[in-house]
This record gives sequence, C-alpha cells and structure tokens, in this order.
Amino acid sequence: MFSSSVTRRRVAFAFVLPAFVLLLAISIYPLLRTLGLAFSSLELTVSPAESFVGFDNFAKAFQDVRFWNAMGNTLVLVIVGVAIQLVLGVGLALLLSEIGFTRVVWLTALLLPVMIAPVVSGFQFRVIYNDTFGPLNYLIKTISGGFVTGPPWLADTRTALLTIMMTDVWQWTPFMMLLALAGLESIPVELTEAAEVDGAGYWGAFWRIKIPILLPVIVIGLLIRVMDTFKTFDLVFLLTGGGPGSSTETIAFYTYLNGFRFFSMGYTAAIAFIQLIVIIVIARIFLVVQKRMRGGEIQ
Amino acid sequence: MLKKVFFLAVALALLALPALAQDAPPRLNVVDYDLCGDFGGVTVTVVGDAGHNLAPYHFWADDFAAMGITIEIIEVPFADVYQVLKTEFVAGSGAFDVVTFYPSYIGDFAGNGYLLPLDDLMAREPASVWDPNMDDVLAPFRELYNKWGGQTYALTIDGDVLVMMYRADLFSNEDEKAAFMEQYGRELRPPETWSEWLEVAEFFTRDAGETLAGEVLTQPFYGTAEFGRRGFSYAWYLNRAASNGVMLFDEQMNPGINSPEAVAALQNMIDTLKFAPPDVLNFGYDELRDAFIGGQLAMVVQWTDVPKKAADPSISRIAGKVGVGRVPGFEVGGEVAHRSMMPVGRVVGVAADSDVPEAAYCVAKHIAYNTSLENVSTSLTGLDPYRMLHLTHPEAFAPLMGQENAEAYLAGLQVALADGYPDLFIPGAAQYQDALDIQVNRALAGEVSAQEALDAVAAAWNEITDRLGRDTQVAFWQQALESYRALGLVK
Repeated sequence: MFSSSVTRRRVAFAFVLPAFVLLLAISIYPLLRTLGLAFSSLELTVSPAESFVGFDNFAKAFQDVRFWNAMGNTLVLVIVGVAIQLVLGVGLALLLSEIGFTRVVWLTALLLPVMIAPVVSGFQFRVIYNDTFGPLNYLIKTISGGFVTGPPWLADTRTALLTIMMTDVWQWTPFMMLLALAGLESIPVELTEAAEVDGAGYWGAFWRIKIPILLPVIVIGLLIRVMDTFKTFDLVFLLTGGGPGSSTETIAFYTYLNGFRFFSMGYTAAIAFIQLIVIIVIARIFLVVQKRMRGGEIQ
Repeated sequence: MLKKVFFLAVALALLALPALAQDAPPRLNVVDYDLCGDFGGVTVTVVGDAGHNLAPYHFWADDFAAMGITIEIIEVPFADVYQVLKTEFVAGSGAFDVVTFYPSYIGDFAGNGYLLPLDDLMAREPASVWDPNMDDVLAPFRELYNKWGGQTYALTIDGDVLVMMYRADLFSNEDEKAAFMEQYGRELRPPETWSEWLEVAEFFTRDAGETLAGEVLTQPFYGTAEFGRRGFSYAWYLNRAASNGVMLFDEQMNPGINSPEAVAALQNMIDTLKFAPPDVLNFGYDELRDAFIGGQLAMVVQWTDVPKKAADPSISRIAGKVGVGRVPGFEVGGEVAHRSMMPVGRVVGVAADSDVPEAAYCVAKHIAYNTSLENVSTSLTGLDPYRMLHLTHPEAFAPLMGQENAEAYLAGLQVALADGYPDLFIPGAAQYQDALDIQVNRALAGEVSAQEALDAVAAAWNEITDRLGRDTQVAFWQQALESYRALGLVK
C-alpha cells in the first residue's frame, strides 16, 4: 500500500522525467562534456586519443596574443556598436512615437534590415564597401565633387572593424527601436499630460518620465544585443575573413578557427568556456541592475 | 496582359531548364576506355566544393546511368570542405562515397585511415576499365598529391598551379617600350625576377588622366595586385620565398621561415602593394581575377584557369591580349630560381567506410581520367590541366581561345608546372598554413615588420609541432621531404 502523497510524488516524477532526460541529453551532458574537454588535449588532426592536461588549455588562452586580440575586437563591437544601436534605436523610437497614420509604413521599412539573414546582409555590404565598384565610395566621391576619396573599407586595418560595426548597427538598430517604441507606447498618456500641466516641457518629460519608465526595457534590449554581439561570427566570416591581418578576428571567429579548421578540440572547449563565463557575468550584472530598477532603487 | 507575360516567362524558363541541364562540353573521344559493368542501381554520394567544379558529374550523367549508378551530389562551401569532411570522417557517419578535397589534406585523411587505398582497384583487369593511367599524370600531382606512405589514395581532377599572366598588348606597345627603356635603361619584358617585377609594376601604375598605350585613362591603372585577403596570401608569398631558397623546415622540423632570405621575399611582396589597387588586402580569387580581366592591371600571378576566363570576350575586356609566363624568381647562386606554388588543386578519393567502394572508384576514375580532357578544356568548369594528355591536345582548348592562344597557354602551363612547388601536405597542414597566412597578412597590412611577422610564424609553427607531437610530425615531414627530393624540389 502506498500513501496517496507517495503516489502523487511518483506521478509528478513520471511527468517530469521525459523533460529531465531531454534536458540532460541536449543541454547538461554537452556542457559537461565540453567542460571535460577543456581540461584535455584532443587534437583530431592527428589522433582521436584524449589526454588530461589540467589547466594547460586555460593557461595557453591567457598567454595567447591572438585570443586577447579577438577578445578586444569583440569588446569594441559590444561596447561601441551596441551603444550606437541604443542611441539610434531610442532616437528613432521617439520620432516614430510622434508620427501619426504613416507610422506603420515607416516602421515596416525600418524593420526590413532585421528581417534579412546576416549572410545576405554580409554579401550586400561586401559589395557596398567595395573600393572599385561599391556604391559607398562612389557616393562619397560624387557628393564631395571628387575631392574626397573613400578609404578601402574592408582592406584597411583602421576601417575594417568599423565596417563590421556599421553593418551590425544597420541590421540591429531597428530591434532596439522596436523595444523602445513598445516601452514608449506603454507609458500612460496621463503621466506625460500631467508633466506638461506642471510645466515640465518636452525634454523634462523625456528625462524624468519616459527614460525612467523605459530603462527596464532598454536594459533587457541591451542584454540581448550584448550577448548576441559577443557571438559575432557571420559578418566577420563574410566581410573580412578576420583580416586584414588579425584586425577583425572576434572571439567567436577565433573559436571557430580552432574548432573547425584546426580541430584542436581541448583548446576550443577552453576558450568557449571562458566566453561562457564572460557572458554569464555580463548577463548577471544586467539582471541585477534591471531588478534594482524594477524595485525602484534606481530612479 | 500581365498574366500572358507571366505565363510566357514561366514557359520560357521551363524550356530553358532541359537546355541548361544538357549544357556539357562535346565528347572528344581521345581516351580509349570502357565503362565499369552495371552496378544495378546503386547510389554514389559525391561531396565537393560548391559550384562549377562539380559540373562534370552532370556532364556525364548518361555514363553513370549506363553503369547503373545514380549520383547524389552534396555541395559544401569552398572554405568548409575540410571541416565538413573531417567532421563526418571523425563521426564515422559513412555519409560520402566519393570525396573531393584539396590535396594538402591527404596526409591528414590518408594518415588517419579515412580513405581507401586505390592500388588494388587500379591494378584490376581489364585495364581499359580500371587503370587510370597514372603515368600520364604530371609527377608533382601524382607523387605528392595522390600518394601517402607509398600508396595511392586519390586521383587528381584539378591541376592547380600559379602562373604569371600579363597584358601582352602593353608589353609589345612601342611607346611603352620606349618609355620603359628611357626610365630603366633596359628592354620592357615580362619580369624574370621579383626585383624586375617591382620595376615593371611601378612603370605601369598610372593615375586616371594619364596615358597608357596611347589612350587616356578614365580610371587608375595598376602594375599588379596580389592575393591580399586572408586564405591564400601565404601562397603568393611562398612563390617568392621558395624561389629564394627558403626551406619551410629543416630535417628536424625546425622552422626556416624567418631566415634573411625569407624576410627579403616578404619585403618584396610588401613593396609590391604600392603598385596595386588600394583595396588589394581584400582581394581574393574573384577580385584578383576580375581586376585583371576587367583591364585594371598590367600583370598578375593567378591560378591557371584565369587565362581561360580572360580569353572569353563575354566576360573579359582583355580577350586576345593576354600572355602567360613563368612566375618570377630570385637570383640564387647566379641563376634565377623559379617556383610556382600549387595551392588548392582538387583530388578525389573513395571513403574507407563507403558501402559501394567499387562503384565510387568507377565514378572517380571516369572524372579523373576518361573524361578529364573534356573537363579541363571547357570554360564550364574551373578545372585545370594535370596530365600530359591535356598538355598535348591544344585543339581541345582551341574552341575557347583559338589554336594559337591555346598552344601558348599550354606551353606556359607546362613551364609553370615544371616550376611547381607543392603546398604543405603533412597532417596539420591547415594549421601551419593559417599561422603563416595570418602573419603574412599582418605584414602586408603594416601591423608588423616582415622580420617580426616571420619570427611569429616560426614560434607558432614550433608550438603546433609540439602540440601535434614532434616525433610523429618530424616523421611525416621527413617522408614528405623524400617526395620533394625525388622530384628535385629540394636537394
């Protein structure tokens, strides 16, 4: 005889079991396997034999100039690129919130870049940035009456990373705009009207009412974009291949090279885990900030 | 009205489909062969880099059907061939029967047992069915790209080698010849050495508004360009380094890549960029080809399919104006040593875990030998000659470029192949190449000096060798050196 509570627990366990097994198979096991690999040497180029090497792979990563260069490039894209997306996105959302019946048309047009696959936008911009027949340098030359010649965007170490950032900004600013617009739409009209009655003016209402209410939404948008930009691969692969030199290698691209070109699986696992830790720390910071905002600690 | 236009367009498209499917070069009937017997409806899965180089499997679909073979083609991006094949091989998925790959991976694939040794199949009787006539394959391809450890694992289908091509019309122009004589005190001719290369490149580099061969330029014109984008810039560098006597490694795999000769070779390549288009560091195969056949450059080093493209007036502005010659060299011991790198190339092998190895071999042999002259002499593929059979049949190339140009093209090719210098093909080749490529690229981009770049390569190569296992890597390298010596590539 089983008590009814034991039976209930077993039924509950039976219901949870498939999900638990699935999670174990597709999420927990690969993660643990990768963690195990990070402490091993597995050079598939020469042999499938795996040997334990302790923290060697992590030590190698911290001494690897190329790893730090890739990390630096990634952080530039994350910090500068996402900041530009934020400013432009919020600005566009404010403009759209002021527009009347043509807003749908503008919104649809502005959202087009988000709908395009990054692979396609990569090819588009490879043509746009082309020094010889690309429209960008043609426009620069035409507008300046022939006095200014555009740089070889993808072939110059000073501009190559910028081109990747510009492409990313073009593609993902509409995403930030959409989130900000949704946030603006949720602000009760009474609040802004009351502010106006109190003589706050447009910018007063913007800084004291709209921005505080928007902040939690913006933080979530930033978190999504930061995590996404941290994994930038496709644009680098298509536009520059990591060059010229190593000037546009991102951490995701460098991980790909080690994993799928060199099949150096232990080292790849180690640098993948370092990335995971960095992303978790960033996400944690954002979530704490967002929680404090919701709790009203940040005004 | 719109409806009518729409239906007309659809009808025309449908009519065009069979025409496209049947687009194949005519049979030349030069090779005597018999097809393999009927395999009774097996499917052979072929994998290779996407695009026109897989077209022969469509050209000869009727032949495969006659052998009772259905071909299933899996196309993968050019840059992903190694990763896709390696992943499937390691997983033991048995996904492919015929694998097309770049021969620098033969040490990796054959050495790890992923490929079937072909010697037994090649020796079967009757020879007209099974023998791919390997003696006819040019020695560097046969000995370095098809064999591993003395056994044959692959058949060449694409004989890539780099060759110099130049604007013959400009080099023979009397005004230009006189101007060159006045400026440099010697005859204008296609450069024999890398220092002449710099002079000629400098001479032909002109701004818009200046005159070239009697015509006022509307666009800037450049002396040359390089493969500046990451991927193969190392090969354009090794043309120079190998000719300057640089050995990649000594017998014990100590790198020789940062010697003074190696640095001088890289400095020459850096100096060349002054006479190249401003975006040369983003020039890959396509950009380099288009700049040349678009009439933007005086000379270039490129793969041997480019002269075929340059001869096609539908895509080229310089059809009939192209000369083909030896890649320049450095003077070593009073003589100019020429070296032409042989990057990429394509070979086909049979996967060791194929369920239909005989049928797969028959498919590979049909492409690599029976129909090879047709496959390399058409502009419908990017495949290049690799057999004496190809070099001795200019008439096969004549419909594309005319008999005279075809003879000149094949003669130039023969010389380039005689200078041929192979890609590194020991296990780990991709890592060694990448380490060299990125540092060459950094030096070209001005991030580091030539010496700093090559010192970094030497350090990276030592790290790779230690990581992969120095003893085994040294053994592989010494095996490769034997092949190099047998071909007279090193002493």
